[in-house]
Amino acid sequence: MGFLVFGGYMSDAIKIGILYSTTGPYGAMGRDCRDGAELAIEDIAAAHPGRIEPVFVDPEANIDRYLEGARSLLRDHGCRHIIGTITSLARKEVIPLVEKHDGLLWYMCPYEGFEANDNVIYTGGCPNQHLLPLLDYLLPRFGNRPYLVGANYVWGWEMNRLARELVEEACGAILGERYLPLEETAVERIVAEIEQRRPSFILNNLVGPSSYAFHAAIRALAERDPAFRPENCPVVSCDLQECELTDIGLGVATGQLCAAAYFDTVVSPANAAFKLRVARRFGPGRRISSLFASAYASVELCAEAIIEAGDDDPAAIVHRVTSVARPSVLGPLRIDPQTHHAALPFHLGRISDDGGFDIVTSQPSIVADPYLTGQRKRKAPQLRIVS
Amino acid sequence: MRETPNFTGWRATILHREDQTTERLVRQLRLFGFEVTVQWQPLDERHLPEIILVDADQGWSGLLPWKDEQAPRPLIALLGSEAPGRVAWAMGQGAAAILAKPLASSAVYPALVMAVGVHQERRAVADKIAHLEERVRMRPLVHAAVQKIGQACHVDEERAYGILRNCAMKKRLSMEQVAGSILGGAEPLPEAG
Repeated sequence: MGFLVFGGYMSDAIKIGILYSTTGPYGAMGRDCRDGAELAIEDIAAAHPGRIEPVFVDPEANIDRYLEGARSLLRDHGCRHIIGTITSLARKEVIPLVEKHDGLLWYMCPYEGFEANDNVIYTGGCPNQHLLPLLDYLLPRFGNRPYLVGANYVWGWEMNRLARELVEEACGAILGERYLPLEETAVERIVAEIEQRRPSFILNNLVGPSSYAFHAAIRALAERDPAFRPENCPVVSCDLQECELTDIGLGVATGQLCAAAYFDTVVSPANAAFKLRVARRFGPGRRISSLFASAYASVELCAEAIIEAGDDDPAAIVHRVTSVARPSVLGPLRIDPQTHHAALPFHLGRISDDGGFDIVTSQPSIVADPYLTGQRKRKAPQLRIVS
Repeated sequence: MRETPNFTGWRATILHREDQTTERLVRQLRLFGFEVTVQWQPLDERHLPEIILVDADQGWSGLLPWKDEQAPRPLIALLGSEAPGRVAWAMGQGAAAILAKPLASSAVYPALVMAVGVHQERRAVADKIAHLEERVRMRPLVHAAVQKIGQACHVDEERAYGILRNCAMKKRLSMEQVAGSILGGAEPLPEAG
């Protein structure tokens, strides 16, 4: 595992840890996160030279090395803030250490919810910000008999459990539910079952290579049977990124759907400026993913709060970031003081031929409800006897 | 698969001296939608909340207004001690889950869900046992009714038992209830056949 102190060694700079795996089954996502974080660090350095010093750690998708890396960041490097982890497994592994050192973890990926830790800031979105509005869109348009596929760990299990509950509340039925490990690409049996059961749509909570193989197999199925074309039976995801579309193969997943808090194609002055900045740094043609944007926004939020406070005391930083909404590429970023989650917009994107997402529908910022305490259930219809 | 628990509008009482543990606990419980009360005095049995969390390190008998593990609400023990006596005290009060101190905030929600589930299961099992005990208590009545039917209809015990069972099925009552009615004279003797 390599430690890299970015931009040389600066004596009185405050260090922040950046913990992403850039190799392994979710390496493409990790590289985007790291690039987003790196760009934010460069922009902060340009505006406030010598104030923030990043320490990058790459655990290479090895869970033990997440722990090792986090420990080293907190103990050896004196970081009190870590931006990072992608999977819930890695986040859960790192949190007890962050708690022990009274640090703050900035977690910026969409996740399955049911968590609100005092030592974490969540900027990636939980189910009431992605899955619930997604199903609200899909059920009336495509029908209430979906098929569920998912990665064989808590993200896949919990997203599908919740989807089943919501579909059954809407008087629908789940036609099948299957799980695959991250690197498993043998999807034929699942696709054969889908072909036979003919669902209304497919909720895809697979991650990495298994998700790419699945999209390719569904494409082949749609060529044989038009009922499985995206306009008839879409494959719908909550975590697919622009940076993964080239791994799937350009054109392979065209027409399939994905929910996210950000797409490269969002039209806003903030995003137009951001895209220019990214193009200057990484060259034209780079598609910005929600993970890239979210990592950038999280590092920016963390670093600016530290610079304003002149101190990295986590309690003071939490107070600062929860007391006012700040402009960001994701829109005004408001962190809830109770849940520590960001309010986030909802966008539904349709994959285009050129490796991006065309936005189908959007909702303004949704306040996070990680434990789904809100009035989620639809009211029972009030029946009256008409004589 | 169970439904996503929803505690919105539930009341929780924490029986614990106010400190960092209660502070953290109150924060988490409010996130889940609870109205929370913290007190360090006996609970009023006339106003029980939906769930109770009790300091099992310092708790004394009389803090909870019930006896013999018969907790009428889901109970969670807050426990830092490893002393067997303290664990036994928590079990003796009917605790359905333990939350270890110092408190990890990620432990609170699973403990609540488990305590509520265990409490419901215990209630269902207790109801079932009460029902079965009632039936066992009534068994002598069944035996006596079988004897009476056997003598009246001149059939053997097995046949008399079949007559009683058919009668109970037709009336959609338990055999014990029908037997009681027959012996009390409220029910005419069923005919053989």
